[in-house]
Amino acid sequence: MAGVAGGGGGGGGNDFQWCFSQVKGAIDEDVAEADIISTVEFNYSGDLLATGDKGGRVVIFQREQENKSRPHSRGEYNVYSTFQSHEPEFDYLKSLEIEEKINKIRWLPQQNAAHFLLSTNDKTIKLWKISERDKRAEGYNLKDEDGRLRDPFRITSLRVPILKPMDLMVEASPRRIFANAHTYHINSISVNSDHETYLSADDLRINLWHLEITDRSFNIVDIKPANMEELTEVITAAEFHPHHCNVFVYSSSKGTIRLCDMRSSALCDRHSKFFEEPEDPSSRSFFSEIISSISDVKFSHSGRYMMTRDYLSVKVWDLNMENRPVETYQVHEYLRSKLCSLYENDCIFDKFECCWNGSDR
Amino acid sequence: MLPGGWLWGKWVLLLLPGAVSLAPWSRTCLKLSGSDSPCAKPMLAKGVKRPRGEMEGGDPEPRDPGAAPASSLFNISMVKLHQSLRHVEPNLRHLVLVANTLRRMQDQMQREARGPDSPEAPSVVDSPAPVSDSRDSGLEPCRQPPSDSQGDDLLLSTMDTSISTILEDLGQVEVLSPARPEEEQPLAGASGARQEPARTSAPCLGPLELLSSASYLLEDGLEDIFEDIDTSMYDCDLWSPTSLSGFKAFSGAEDSDSKALAGAEDRLDMSDLDYLMDVLVGGHAL
Repeated sequence: MAGVAGGGGGGGGNDFQWCFSQVKGAIDEDVAEADIISTVEFNYSGDLLATGDKGGRVVIFQREQENKSRPHSRGEYNVYSTFQSHEPEFDYLKSLEIEEKINKIRWLPQQNAAHFLLSTNDKTIKLWKISERDKRAEGYNLKDEDGRLRDPFRITSLRVPILKPMDLMVEASPRRIFANAHTYHINSISVNSDHETYLSADDLRINLWHLEITDRSFNIVDIKPANMEELTEVITAAEFHPHHCNVFVYSSSKGTIRLCDMRSSALCDRHSKFFEEPEDPSSRSFFSEIISSISDVKFSHSGRYMMTRDYLSVKVWDLNMENRPVETYQVHEYLRSKLCSLYENDCIFDKFECCWNGSDR
Repeated sequence: MLPGGWLWGKWVLLLLPGAVSLAPWSRTCLKLSGSDSPCAKPMLAKGVKRPRGEMEGGDPEPRDPGAAPASSLFNISMVKLHQSLRHVEPNLRHLVLVANTLRRMQDQMQREARGPDSPEAPSVVDSPAPVSDSRDSGLEPCRQPPSDSQGDDLLLSTMDTSISTILEDLGQVEVLSPARPEEEQPLAGASGARQEPARTSAPCLGPLELLSSASYLLEDGLEDIFEDIDTSMYDCDLWSPTSLSGFKAFSGAEDSDSKALAGAEDRLDMSDLDYLMDVLVGGHAL
């Protein structure tokens, strides 16, 4: 499965035993490039797990209903729906192929029987509706059972079509396509707590969208310098606050997090809060900046804390304290002595994600 | 985003086979991929997991087999930077991180070149004593031993050649996009001052100028780009201002002669046009 680093693993590392509950996919050594999973996301209830791959496909797994006779065994996840979300595109202006790889998937909170998710590649975000169909109508007047149209003049009596059960069919259909708003590569999307808007972030800009409106978006952060040669920092991740729909954060390649309030100004170039841990002078090296680059930022469900992932560690920040994190967990400290080789083979630029468990533990 | 259709002509040229040799940044159909490293040593190829046994075997390596002196690290970084820039849409995060790392290296090298008696800033530069211990304590082994003046000269000359390469690339880019005069002076100054070790880091920022004019470009001075295009096929009598009076030429490359002609024969052509219109309208009425 995808390389998601389990974050925030409790105070005493010895208390938890982690193991794989289920492994999906081919155990084969030869994995096709297109099958490589690029993003994973549970929905709010945890019943659905969506995965996106390099080939632009989304596969959704659904948890089976828990067996009442075995209340302690977790439900197994089985394939629920598969669809092609993005196709490779060719940008004629730049003679460049836009990859179909899915960078991020985010679920919308469920409001009716259907499920909605946003999926994005480097340039385009799509809203997908996944709905179930387990009934079909029979007894149409104008159509035969095999779909052939009947001659209206030959119909002598009318009947009311009746609904009959059928095998469950899960359909995915694209409902909105949000395109042409990002010059650079989209790295994050985040649904707002108002359930009407969402943000999308690329390397230098963050845009605010309304889920109903696809032909324009509102730019809320722009860190592009007047001259590109002055560029020293890029946006790496962004997320809305879980409860305050005017607050969001974005992280940077320099290891800083900025919290912005959309009420303060239309263009949130000036942050309300700035989170940065001062550099430890004893461990400073050429690679200090690269390993401090934050690859993911997530708010806790309570909204009081946020978690950030950089190359070697996971940090938990209290939103009320900007000068240092409240907790730091070294994930693979043994790599610190190998930074040189990791730099040479580019592994030092790998990005990891993090997430909270349901109870923020 | 960018204006659409009328830029087609330029890009069709570039897509033709012969045009690939235009310039380093010319558009070839590159599939975007993660950063490639030509210097990936077999010991740690990207994505290959080392078996767990190897990880735990013995003591933590006192000497990182991949450790390199600062000069070769600098070269590796330069290679990475160039590779990144060669993409049509470079991975900005990678680019920025490599460029910043390069700046750090450059700063340190300059500080060391200036000599140990210059006022020392933070602890990036080791004093001689801890260097011998660095391996044991697991500190970054990639620092250059400070007492190597010959190495310094070599280093600085390597730096010079690398930076001049960047300047070359920049020069080629300027052919295709209008040169901004205010930028050329600092560059000229830098190349003139090549002998001085104490130099600002401005030349090293050169690669990022490629960004501004190369990939995300087409923002200013568009007309100059099209000067090389042969528009003779469009110079048809039907379309020249002589036959369509009052019609504005759609390309700035029109020569001034035809414009002068248009002015003079304006009045004559007006009546021709009127006649044409009458014929058309009259025909319709029937």
